[in-house]
Amino acid sequence: MIEPVKLANFFATFFSAAAVILFGALYALLFAYSRTRNMPRLMALAYAAYAVLFISVIVLANVANLFGSLFWMSVAILMLAGYLAAPHAIWHLCVNTHAATHHDGFDGHQPSTPLDCSNPETFQQPCKEKTP
Amino acid sequence: MTALGTIDSANLNGGQKLAVKYFSVALILFGAQVVFGLLAGLQYLIPDFLYEVLDFSINRMVHINAMVVWMLFGFIGSVYWLLEDESGIPIVGLKLGNIVFWIFTLAVAAVVAVYLLVQIGPGEHSTLWLITEGREYIEAPRWADIGIVVCLLVFFFNVAATFAKGKWTGIGGVLTLDLIALFGIYMAGMFYTTNISVDQYWWWWVIHLWVEATWEVLVGGLMAYGLMTVLGARRKIVETWLYIEVALMFGSGILGLGHHYFWIGTPEYWLSIGGFFSALEPVPLVAMVVHAVFDSGVHKMRSSNHPAMGWLIAHAFGNFFGAGVWGFMHTLPQINLYTHGTQWSASHGHLAFFGAYATINIAFFYIAVQKWRGNVWMSGGLIGGWKWKWSMVLLNLGMVGMTMGLLVAGYEQSQIERAIEGSSWAGYFAAQSHPWFQQGMFWRMVFGGMFAAGYALLVLDLLTIGKRETRPAQRPSADG
Amino acid sequence: MTTDPWWASETFWRKTAIWVTAGSFVVLVFLTFDSMSQITAGTRRVPAYSAINHRIEYRFDEQRHVQTPVIGAEEPLFGKKLTEQEAEALVEKGKLTIQAKNCMSCHTLLGNGAYYAPDLTKAWLDPFWGSREVREELMVAFIKDPSDKLHNGLGRRMPRLGVTDEEAHAIVAFLKWMSTIDTNGFPYNFKPLDQEG
Repeated sequence: MIEPVKLANFFATFFSAAAVILFGALYALLFAYSRTRNMPRLMALAYAAYAVLFISVIVLANVANLFGSLFWMSVAILMLAGYLAAPHAIWHLCVNTHAATHHDGFDGHQPSTPLDCSNPETFQQPCKEKTP
Repeated sequence: MTALGTIDSANLNGGQKLAVKYFSVALILFGAQVVFGLLAGLQYLIPDFLYEVLDFSINRMVHINAMVVWMLFGFIGSVYWLLEDESGIPIVGLKLGNIVFWIFTLAVAAVVAVYLLVQIGPGEHSTLWLITEGREYIEAPRWADIGIVVCLLVFFFNVAATFAKGKWTGIGGVLTLDLIALFGIYMAGMFYTTNISVDQYWWWWVIHLWVEATWEVLVGGLMAYGLMTVLGARRKIVETWLYIEVALMFGSGILGLGHHYFWIGTPEYWLSIGGFFSALEPVPLVAMVVHAVFDSGVHKMRSSNHPAMGWLIAHAFGNFFGAGVWGFMHTLPQINLYTHGTQWSASHGHLAFFGAYATINIAFFYIAVQKWRGNVWMSGGLIGGWKWKWSMVLLNLGMVGMTMGLLVAGYEQSQIERAIEGSSWAGYFAAQSHPWFQQGMFWRMVFGGMFAAGYALLVLDLLTIGKRETRPAQRPSADG
Repeated sequence: MTTDPWWASETFWRKTAIWVTAGSFVVLVFLTFDSMSQITAGTRRVPAYSAINHRIEYRFDEQRHVQTPVIGAEEPLFGKKLTEQEAEALVEKGKLTIQAKNCMSCHTLLGNGAYYAPDLTKAWLDPFWGSREVREELMVAFIKDPSDKLHNGLGRRMPRLGVTDEEAHAIVAFLKWMSTIDTNGFPYNFKPLDQEG
């Protein structure tokens, strides 16, 4: 069973819930941007966004009384772990799905090229990901 | 062949000729949605406006029904649009598809006429069969339900048979399976029961599983095609990601149904299931963000159709804010107890439906009109390019403004009506009279007007864009 | 041509998509069977239609920390005790009328519907009706012709919907029955009409 939010905590609930999603996305955005553009400094900002997300989840769990039961506490913990790991996992997925060079000739006009690290115009990924 | 920039059906394949018919009706119904939305919104401010002539209940019903049907028409049109391209052969039952289009359109016109002229009936089964079923979103009378299922079945047949005869692609497979769910689930709402809990249980199967599962996946398939067309993205990658998206969407969406089963009499375990899957809900969105950034690093972002590209981006943002942020703000049962059935839902509903579905349909309208005019230039420096930009600004800003107005009203309502006054009638009206509520509704109306202006400009633009262009379309940048 | 790692391959994700979808759906079907068995009329959560022969209360449940409906002493609707069949027929007529007049396009039932008019989940218990003695007749009269009745200070009124006397009685029966459904504490903090007097 649940413990409803107290009236005084309404604003904190809405605000922290929105912050969870917004900073979750910001973390993912900065994370991915840092990796694609090879800007390690952005990674620090990404983790700063995650830190805000972390606080938001704790605030949300607190005002929505999630710490009161084992189940709801585990939902909060799952969110913390899931948001931390998701961009990493998705990133690996991106790299590996796009690395495939198999081409089924759909476009016709464009020759199939593997990730071309020599041409920064068409490929701005950090080539350390690909080149040995 | 006629000159570039002239509307000519010779530019289209068979499925696309049918698609533009669906798109035209969709656009008209979009207009009906806007008009009846304005009327209903005005009644919040002037309660006696059209009292006992076109009551709020009628305007609101036409408003949301027009929305469901125009989006459905848009989706059907979009699938017909890509069907011949994808399968590599002409549509198997094109003639049947055309006949069904006319039947479907006439049926919709008949239903709307009955809604407006007859409105309600006596408390008997015959009313449910002939006039209205009186259940939100699926008010259409039973005869129309059966008609919708038949039309969707023919549509399904056309899609499945065409892919089966031509070639199966990943997009084709996902669309075909999704269409089975689309008409199958609709049937869950086609029966009468006195038990309101059972009624709403199945009602949510239609509403949630349609809107938050099958529609999302349908849009995923359309988006995949859109990305290949507009950006020239590579098929294998697009399809792999379509599967990833399907897994994430259905994985969180199907049991996400639980967040509608908190308060309708259903067992308490739905509180846990609904809460758990609500927490998972944003995962597909995070995946999209990472993937989009990755892609933008790979593509040179040279789109062949700027308006369509703009609306596809609006779709990504709209889906994120409407479904993600606005959804999660009030989805946990601990807070939903107070927001359920207030303007919170209206705020979320407006932004999510527009952001997730209206946007992608509009993108397809632009894709269609480009080819209809002989694959004309629609990239930078477009003649009369201010129109699509301004209609996009007005529509999006209008929607955000309406959403904010409703949010303020809903926030006040959840506190005063729900938490303090305990949802009594006196509490309801205390909240409705509150300045925050009244002002929220006022601003909703103002931004509704802005949205309507954006709609008018959109129609004008779709009719004229590319008219005086003589340049052929820019080739999309490929690879990625 | 290189090969992708298995977890990034198209085939793997196609299969995953199918299994995740099928798996979720099977779980949903299983839960649906269980839910149906718990919300059939005549169960603890959704009482039998003949509950309208009794007083309905909405009391705080110490164990669950929310209010729950309680079926109390015998108190037949309109002073006439009905059999299970008669009660079901009456509530059915009420539900049909509620659909035929499209009540949900202004009101909410169990919180679902439109937001132009009050929620009807606990309409039967609403303090608006004043007292237990006059409630039933006031409700019938209001539903039949709301246009000249007191509503609120906003000027927002319910229209006349051509509800017959029989239909109005049936709607009241439906509303009374609906107030017996255990909605996990929704609406919260509701203060019901005093039925003791």
